[in-house]
Amino acid sequence: MGLSTATTAVSEAIQLCVFDSRRGQQEGQELDKILFFYPADLPFTKQLYIIGLSEGLITFTRTFSPEAACEVIEAEKHSHVFFEAEQDIWMVLVVEKNKELEAIWRIGALQKLLKEIHSLFLMFHGSIRLLLEKEPTGEVSRSHLYSFIMDYLNASCQKRSALDMCCCDFLVGKKLHLPSFTDCLKERGTVQMLTIGRDAALDVQALVRIVDSCIGNTSCHSLILFQDLLVSTTLSPDDTANLFSYAVLRLIPRVLSSGASSWSYLIRGNVASHVAQHGGNVGNRVIRPLQHGKWSKGKDGFLETDIWGMEASGWVGSTPKIWLSQTEEQMCLYVHQHKSLTLILLVPVSSIPNGEQGISIVRQYILENASLKIVKVEEKLSKGWGGENAYHVGGYRYLLVDGDRQISRASPPGKVTTLAKDSLLAMSKLREKVDLEKSRAKQDSDGEEKELEVTIRAKNNAWVISRITRGKELYIALEKANETLLYASDMVEKFSNRYCNGAFSLD
Amino acid sequence: MSCGLSSLSSSDELDDFNPRTSPSTPPKPLEEELASLALTLPHPQLLSDQDDVNGVSDGFEADRSMFGIQQSDEEMRVGLVFEEHVGGNSVSVVEGATEGSDGAGVVWGRTNSEIEVDRPASPSSSGYAGERGSSSASSGRSEMDGVAEDEIQELRDDASDGENSNSVPSWVPGKRHGDEDDASISWRKRKKHFFILSHSGKPIYSRYGDEHKLAGFSASLQAIISFVEDGGDRVKWVRAGKHQVVFLVKGPIYLVCISCTEEPYESLRGQLELIYGQMILILTKSVNRCFERNPKFDMTSLLGGTDVVFSSLIHSFGWNPATFLHAYTCLPLAYGTRQAAGAILQDVADSGILFAILMCKHKVISIVGAQKASLHPDDMLLLANFVMSTESFRTSESFSPICLPRYNPMAFLYAYVHYFDVNTYLMLLTTNSDSFYHLKECRIRIETVLLKSNVLSEVQRSMLDGGMHVGDVPVDSLPRYRTTSHLGQQRAPSEFPERFKESNAGMGGPGGLWHFIYRSIYLDQYVSSEFSSPITSRQQQKRLYRAYQNIYASMHDKEIGPHKTQFRRDENYVLLCWVTQDFELYAAFDPLADKALAIKICNRVCQWIKDVENEVFLLGASPFSW
Repeated sequence: MGLSTATTAVSEAIQLCVFDSRRGQQEGQELDKILFFYPADLPFTKQLYIIGLSEGLITFTRTFSPEAACEVIEAEKHSHVFFEAEQDIWMVLVVEKNKELEAIWRIGALQKLLKEIHSLFLMFHGSIRLLLEKEPTGEVSRSHLYSFIMDYLNASCQKRSALDMCCCDFLVGKKLHLPSFTDCLKERGTVQMLTIGRDAALDVQALVRIVDSCIGNTSCHSLILFQDLLVSTTLSPDDTANLFSYAVLRLIPRVLSSGASSWSYLIRGNVASHVAQHGGNVGNRVIRPLQHGKWSKGKDGFLETDIWGMEASGWVGSTPKIWLSQTEEQMCLYVHQHKSLTLILLVPVSSIPNGEQGISIVRQYILENASLKIVKVEEKLSKGWGGENAYHVGGYRYLLVDGDRQISRASPPGKVTTLAKDSLLAMSKLREKVDLEKSRAKQDSDGEEKELEVTIRAKNNAWVISRITRGKELYIALEKANETLLYASDMVEKFSNRYCNGAFSLD
Repeated sequence: MSCGLSSLSSSDELDDFNPRTSPSTPPKPLEEELASLALTLPHPQLLSDQDDVNGVSDGFEADRSMFGIQQSDEEMRVGLVFEEHVGGNSVSVVEGATEGSDGAGVVWGRTNSEIEVDRPASPSSSGYAGERGSSSASSGRSEMDGVAEDEIQELRDDASDGENSNSVPSWVPGKRHGDEDDASISWRKRKKHFFILSHSGKPIYSRYGDEHKLAGFSASLQAIISFVEDGGDRVKWVRAGKHQVVFLVKGPIYLVCISCTEEPYESLRGQLELIYGQMILILTKSVNRCFERNPKFDMTSLLGGTDVVFSSLIHSFGWNPATFLHAYTCLPLAYGTRQAAGAILQDVADSGILFAILMCKHKVISIVGAQKASLHPDDMLLLANFVMSTESFRTSESFSPICLPRYNPMAFLYAYVHYFDVNTYLMLLTTNSDSFYHLKECRIRIETVLLKSNVLSEVQRSMLDGGMHVGDVPVDSLPRYRTTSHLGQQRAPSEFPERFKESNAGMGGPGGLWHFIYRSIYLDQYVSSEFSSPITSRQQQKRLYRAYQNIYASMHDKEIGPHKTQFRRDENYVLLCWVTQDFELYAAFDPLADKALAIKICNRVCQWIKDVENEVFLLGASPFSW
């Protein structure tokens, strides 16, 4: 099936590649460098052009900056964003700039996107380097990366699968929505927490204690979510953020019931068919944890999936498993859901006693010991929850980030969209600048944390404000504020005192 | 050694990556160098009116003798030019001669009607020409000129910045660190590199290191630019950690800055624009024709001896706000004094002078332009830099071809330059290459009037008194009209200038005010306060300028700007910035300054400037609007 020219043009607007600069160093073997390329149907000469340019700039910039190679190439029409995912394994995202289409990007947001793709990949598949070492032809890595990244970028395909099967090419590259300036009050890779009362907190604590000791004194971990907000975690911040992202993408009730994710970058395409030609002949089965519609809730409240294979290989084989980044330990993943409450339990694979039996013992334990608590906690949280606008603060559009704990809170997206385009652009630009200063401060080895306060009155009279202090960041856009700087500062002060425990207050 | 891209391209993994890269430039024979060099030298015999020329040259015997070496090139130069001029289509056999005739193209190859104007100046006493002569004499390398005072200063600063942590700073005459190349660790660690190269990848200028040794590196830069162009795009900048590589393509001329100074892209790009402008000021844009004829044209010789001009310009990026404000500043003078200076300039301007400019260092005393002629602040900056950095202008009156890139990038004007004292100089610009004597007469008239009306002594006094001091910001709200003292100061600073400077130390101004810059939008002028404690060292001043540059760039964002107000507090300063239709104010305070008080002080500063605007600005400079 031929591609129309229009489709080609669109698909060239965004390119995403993963390459290993250690591979393909002989002339004629350059293609071997490529581990992933989107759009996959881009001619190889063009793919190699992107990779050649990237490698050239990486080598060039190392002359002056050996410790940090190329991060961004900014050209008139495109931005090239680099992320060195693992040593010599690079992810490069090329985005076309187009003011009419509002394709105005914040580099930092695009970098976070690349980082998230890689973190999630690590969680499910382990490092790319390790995969390459295990299987030097790279076919396994390629098929894993292909299905994984395409699933990540892919939105609601589950209902289309029948259609996709027959005319996938037609749908490739229809549209890919990357985070643009309109997402300036969001922070990818962070967790959004539910604020809970003291009473509920005690119940949650009790529940966590029960759950985490499901197999005696082994180090189990748990994560509890209410809707798409985190209630509690016993994981490290990194692992929490990764698992939280995954849960919000594929596990929470809203996603399960609608089958469509509110979050996502839409590419319609058939991953499976492509995987077949890419790595189909390889003996290894490709696990696709980000595939849509693959989780469903069983009668006992546990979520089931066939992503990790079915009964054919027994229970253990089909239990979802992930890698923890901090301990590099492989964990079995159990997900239990009761109404709005999602409980994720991680048990070390090594401590599951004996196969099928061990699995059901864990499940049984949860059902017997925690069910009541789960119901109780869910009830309390539901009662206390203020709905999706719970964290709206009248007059403010804000984003609050705690970098150390990887937590953020922001105005509800529906409220942010009421801001004028100029305000959003000004905020996006301000964040771009602050991103740069933060990264510079980080590179200064003195370890001093950046302290910064910027208040700008934009052309459209909106105030865009940024405060950085002790690893915490606050961004506020005020559109209907009085015209004096002192008034705007006052608004920030009030916000800080009321919602941030005075973290950003000056006195 | 070549590094980076060129080494990558020379390996076989990406054959097509760098098709146009040449691994290195072979050393050129000295004759060739001299031939092309000589062609660019203005010379009497190129002019039609020999008598006039000789007359003028005779007036500069001392200068001519300084550049004795030029004379020995004369035959070759004249011969080649003649060939180009008369023979027209004749093709030279020798490679050097081909390049030479390209050089001549700068002089003769115009198709427009400005032939008269385009010719190089008659006397060979023009500053830069002289410099070229001496450099060709010394070694065939082009970086042997005397080092400017401020360059040395910066060398120290750079060293203390950690720019050169691996080697002891050495006092190299002319270009600094000329022995380095891209293989040197010290070279790679320099904080801010500037390169000019041709579109074929030939190095034209490098701030550090020997251009010839940097041929491979230069080819890498060219490869990046052309590789992105091959993809149908244009590279603007590349970021790697703290480093930023900024590219600017101007026809066949490529300019690149590699910096880890944390200056924003917009500033660095603006600096590259100025460097390009400086090049145009020396050569005019018709240098492009050389590349049209011979893409591999080697331009280094054309700029021989002008290293000092570029290094002085680059140095000014660290201290002169005019480089990013695109405005000029005036020497504070009583209104009447400036009026007197303006009147006599106006007088002579009516007699066929395009611009008459009286300056003291980089500050303007007065400017007058012919009707409808306007001088862009960037052109003034480049012209002043050219004159101040070229030593030979100081030693005698000079007549030199220069081009004002914003005025007309294609044509030469002729600048008569004369220093009245060590800092104060007069520039008379004309389109007429024969008017040396006329301009000399004008200068004498001007000098007489300036002396009679005490302008020159007032200038000296103002130099001693300095500009606005933050310590003098009026703290009471009473307006200070009609103060008789200098800029409303409460004291007689000229009597004890040193003592007062000391007494100001450690204080700054009220409310923690450390420094300010005020730019009048209509006048295209700015005034900045004198540095006071605690911004005393060169390094602190440079850092403050960079902070100003940053906030200026963020206020004037092309897509969303200009913003109206910005308040910024970091570990170094509180910066307050206010942009209105009439003016822009940038003020730096102690980082612990109180916000409300800082705002109040800013208002006071604006009021103060309004009160003394007669003294700090050149007002009503008649034909000066655009």
